[in-house]
Amino acid sequence: MATTVAPPPAVAVPASRYERGLWSWLATVDHKRIGQLYLYTAVTFFLIGGLEALIIREQLRGPNGTLVSAETYNQLFTMHGTTMIFLVIMPLSAAFFNYLIPLQIGARDVAFPRLNAFSYWVFLLGALFMNASWLFGAAPDGGWFGYTPLTTKAYAPGMNIDFWVLGLQILGISSLASGFNFLTTIINLRAPGMHLMRMPIFTWMSFVTQFLIILAFPIITVALTFLQLDRFFGTNFYTTAAGGDPLLWQHLFWLFGHPEVYILILPAFGLVSEVLPTFTRKPLFGYPVMVYSGVLIGFLGFGVWAHHMFAVGMGPIADSAFGVTTMLIAIPTGVKIFNWLATLHGGSIRFTTSAMFAIGFIALFTIGGVSGVMHSSPPADLQQTDTYFVVAHFHYVMFGGSMMGIFAGAYYYFPKITGRLLSERLGKVHFWLTFIGMNLTFFPMHFAGLNGMPRRVYTYAAGQGWDLENMVSTWGARMLAVATLVFVYNLIRSRRQGERSGNDPWGAPTLEWSLHSPPPEYNYAVIPTVRSRYPLWDLKAAHRSAHEPHEHDGDMPTLAPETLAPDTPPPTARQLGITMPTPTLKPLIASIGLTAIFVGLIWNKSLPIMLGGTALFVVALYAWLLSPLEEHEE
Amino acid sequence: MIRALRWRTHTAAALPAALAACSSHVPNTTLSPQTEFGRDIDALFDILLFAGVAVLVLVTLALLFVIVRYRHRAGAPEPKAIHGNAVLEIVWTLIPAVILAIIAVPTVRTIFRTQAEAGPNALQVEVVGHQWWWEFRYPQYGVVTANELYLPVGRTVNFALMTADVVHSFWIPQLGGKRDLVSNDTNHVWFTPESAFAWNGFCAEFCGSSHANMRFRVFTVPPEQFERWIAHQQSPPVLGAAAPPAGAIDTLAPAPPAPPQATAPTVVADSLPEHVRAATPIPAGLRMSNVRGDAARGAQLFMRATPMPCAACHAIQGVAASIVGPNLTHVGSRTSIGAGLFPTDARHLALWIKDSPAMKPGSKMPAFGKSAQIPAGLDDQQIADLAAYLLSLK
Amino acid sequence: MTHAAHASHHYTSTGLDNRKIAIWAFIGSECLFFGSLISTYLIYKNRSLVGPFPHEAWTNPQTGETVKAILDIPVTSASTFVLLMSSLFMVLAHAAVVRGDRKYSKIWLVSTALAGTVFLGFQAYEFTSFVHEGLTLKTNLFGSSFFILTGFHGAHVTAGVIWLLTLFFIDLKRGLRPTDAINVDLCALYWHFVDVVWIAIFTLIYLIP
Repeated sequence: MATTVAPPPAVAVPASRYERGLWSWLATVDHKRIGQLYLYTAVTFFLIGGLEALIIREQLRGPNGTLVSAETYNQLFTMHGTTMIFLVIMPLSAAFFNYLIPLQIGARDVAFPRLNAFSYWVFLLGALFMNASWLFGAAPDGGWFGYTPLTTKAYAPGMNIDFWVLGLQILGISSLASGFNFLTTIINLRAPGMHLMRMPIFTWMSFVTQFLIILAFPIITVALTFLQLDRFFGTNFYTTAAGGDPLLWQHLFWLFGHPEVYILILPAFGLVSEVLPTFTRKPLFGYPVMVYSGVLIGFLGFGVWAHHMFAVGMGPIADSAFGVTTMLIAIPTGVKIFNWLATLHGGSIRFTTSAMFAIGFIALFTIGGVSGVMHSSPPADLQQTDTYFVVAHFHYVMFGGSMMGIFAGAYYYFPKITGRLLSERLGKVHFWLTFIGMNLTFFPMHFAGLNGMPRRVYTYAAGQGWDLENMVSTWGARMLAVATLVFVYNLIRSRRQGERSGNDPWGAPTLEWSLHSPPPEYNYAVIPTVRSRYPLWDLKAAHRSAHEPHEHDGDMPTLAPETLAPDTPPPTARQLGITMPTPTLKPLIASIGLTAIFVGLIWNKSLPIMLGGTALFVVALYAWLLSPLEEHEE
Repeated sequence: MIRALRWRTHTAAALPAALAACSSHVPNTTLSPQTEFGRDIDALFDILLFAGVAVLVLVTLALLFVIVRYRHRAGAPEPKAIHGNAVLEIVWTLIPAVILAIIAVPTVRTIFRTQAEAGPNALQVEVVGHQWWWEFRYPQYGVVTANELYLPVGRTVNFALMTADVVHSFWIPQLGGKRDLVSNDTNHVWFTPESAFAWNGFCAEFCGSSHANMRFRVFTVPPEQFERWIAHQQSPPVLGAAAPPAGAIDTLAPAPPAPPQATAPTVVADSLPEHVRAATPIPAGLRMSNVRGDAARGAQLFMRATPMPCAACHAIQGVAASIVGPNLTHVGSRTSIGAGLFPTDARHLALWIKDSPAMKPGSKMPAFGKSAQIPAGLDDQQIADLAAYLLSLK
Repeated sequence: MTHAAHASHHYTSTGLDNRKIAIWAFIGSECLFFGSLISTYLIYKNRSLVGPFPHEAWTNPQTGETVKAILDIPVTSASTFVLLMSSLFMVLAHAAVVRGDRKYSKIWLVSTALAGTVFLGFQAYEFTSFVHEGLTLKTNLFGSSFFILTGFHGAHVTAGVIWLLTLFFIDLKRGLRPTDAINVDLCALYWHFVDVVWIAIFTLIYLIP
């Protein structure tokens, strides 16, 4: 972000090997490259997590299924949940944070580019660590919620839970590091004039998400540390024989776990709120209320955790309190849905694939929200918790909500990332297969649950009244599998052969669309000055006769017209004399050292590996902290 | 629907006919409550369902309306930029708030009603969860049994829920629950069965390998039958009563149909409706040769089987007292073994003894069949003897 | 650290250095970290099945031996005082760097680190004597939650000492200039936070029986 003039670049920047090939990715500190790394990694894990789901559904297609053993099934559903939450939806959101936040706020990069690279590498290594468990036949099998004492050494002596605990610890470090980074970025790197109430709504929702990450992850870190110490060093936190209380884990876990739900859904709210205005050609209805409701959801999200525990016997007062706070959270969520509807109302809706996913999101998320209210009532929840009704509920929220929102964002932003459009034809096939498949898979689960089918069962007896629901679900899952393959094919194909998009294919209102697609490494040749929420629309307001400048505009002129990049390839940073952070391998090396510590721990507490990892981490960290971000300082 | 199918009869002899008529396609539904506990919840659920469906239908209709009405048309003018409308936004903040308040009031009332103390005359039942079976104790009667609950119609039953190991959850979808079994703590749940029938119970909290196989049955019976059942449970097992003279049982033949007894205290498996009949297929690869078991020899083996006597883990009233595994005092009179998995017959008992972990993943009971890994194990004849003995424990 | 000089040239929305925002975010996150550890300690208070106990004596039913209440408040008060003093030194060190006083910046930085080390010495003594009296990580709920809570705090102090010594060596090597004050400032924020956490721990764990 240097605004200082760089020395002659030929001397200072030995850049070539950092610009192309494998090296350029390993050493990158560019938020756009890191965003793409998150994207590709998360899509890969989406396929893995989806395959796990498909095997689960095949096993449950009929009663007394024998495709996989009980042990394998328990590993599959544990890893399906863990993968989809920590290795798919969170990193997909991180891909958008990375790629979009600096662009949306008019910055050249994030606040700490090297920390950003470190976050990604730690995430990748943590994900590989967790999945390496399959190679040992010891994938985690205690559920994504890992309830104690089932996950303590006494009841789970194998390595399965070790992989889970340590894997989540590694991933937690990544999430925390990126949380600090994006929080700082959003607070401190907004372009002149972009005060908080002019921030694009995606950035706003991401902002709330970062708060949730940095406040929720320390809690799970502590809970996991206890479990790790119990398992590796014989402490007693969850040892029931020593008086340990299983509810300690449950409270700590859900104190993290519920904000985590909002960590998963808020970025999707943001994406949908970006997509809808563009394709209705109307500003987001009630922007301030959308912001405040997002903040309120994040805030209330910390006060509802025990609604996951209505069956544990907390007593009527706690049950009532958590029931009521949970109902409260439905209010800001409902407001969001109404505001999205009002955004559509009176618009001129263009049904691009992105818009269809965003509209599908509203429909499906509403179903998830309604069933959520149904188990906010503790007595009703007693009949619903731990049944397929809940499985239906949260898949409507996570798949119908988060993933549909992310798909909407993917079709919307793909051209910005690659300069090419995703195929609309394949996109519509993808949408319809997903929309129908998703409902076929998850809607019958409501009935299975209300008809008494418990969750997390690898088998069920015949004649229980669940056969039809399960068979339909399995067919729906197969449809979703096809839909996903269509999407991945579209991604791969369109990257090379997609129609060229130009800089602003959708006529979008926000700053990032003023840039060349894909944007140059420095993003903005001149840091823009922002005067409204929709700078690009204001710029084009001349031909928008119906446009009324909104209350915050005042009489301010809009974005300078020369801000719009021409369609020709942009000049390089060197040509412009802009100094960007120097690519470096130090974050990668530090992340390898850090992961090695955990590898040593699971490798029979191998001291050499742990000490070697620590040494590598410390050396890389010092080398990183003591070297300048940008080359010209030396 | 279930209501119409409930056991109306008051004599065990008439049961088979009544049960044969029962073929509901949703036998475990939560929507047809059979206790006051269930009805309280169901009443609340109806409000939630009505409000939820109303909201869902309205939102969906509104969504469909706007996407059809405001789809892009060629040549249409640019839409007006509307940034918001304070009145509207306040209105649709208040509407959900009002709906939620309407839900919250009965919610809190139901919470306090269902979590109040059970009445003083309640039948006390202690439930102890084990990986992966259920121990049921009737402390007022000194009865201990496993995996099958008998409850009298019309009397409130108060469950004290405990666990011997990990967290489980006690759930009989049509009667009540679910309530978790938490280590170092005792939870309570109570309800009053209103009709005589057979119900399924499940463990609803993930508890390891065989979580799916931790099932139980509940038989709600007329009070006088319950009294007979209690008396029967309190007495020592009637050895060999139902076995052929030499205690011989063909392990491959189906169990001989028990003669209907007008005063039988227990439920007869053959008369059960399908949804509570244990019918898990035997896993592939398990073999048992066709031999005749001898209950008398089995009784001796129970005390000194190798590599470990059965009595090391199991109790039989007047014989053995260990509490590690299920109490087997009247195991021959239960309808199922393995926590609701298999029917109680010689063949399944024999296979269970031979290789329980293969019959039920993770089973804590080791395989007893002689094999390369277990050279000290039992041969098929010994297993058949044990099965005959257990089956005779009526 | 050498890029601190030009960092101030960058435009930021708040006018503050990025790292200043980040360290506050980090401290906010750490509050939840220590909050969870302290809550666990308090939840498990008086729930240990066997002793030793923090505030009351315990007689081992098997051996008949009595172990006295294990917390030694006078000794810990002394170590608390040392840690509190280190915060004062930290303030003085920061002030010295801001005014470009190279002599006193070195003195106060090393004094802060030294006071932190003395605190760690006290903690090592305390842990050793507890182990001698029969309280280990594995003994009971109190042992697990006490050692892990204070141990994590000790680890934070250790990290702070390493940070201080790093600053001290940079000061020795090339001198900390007023433009480096942000680096000392960050370290000071962290150090004061660790100190405040200790005050919470000392009050809740040691002083309240």
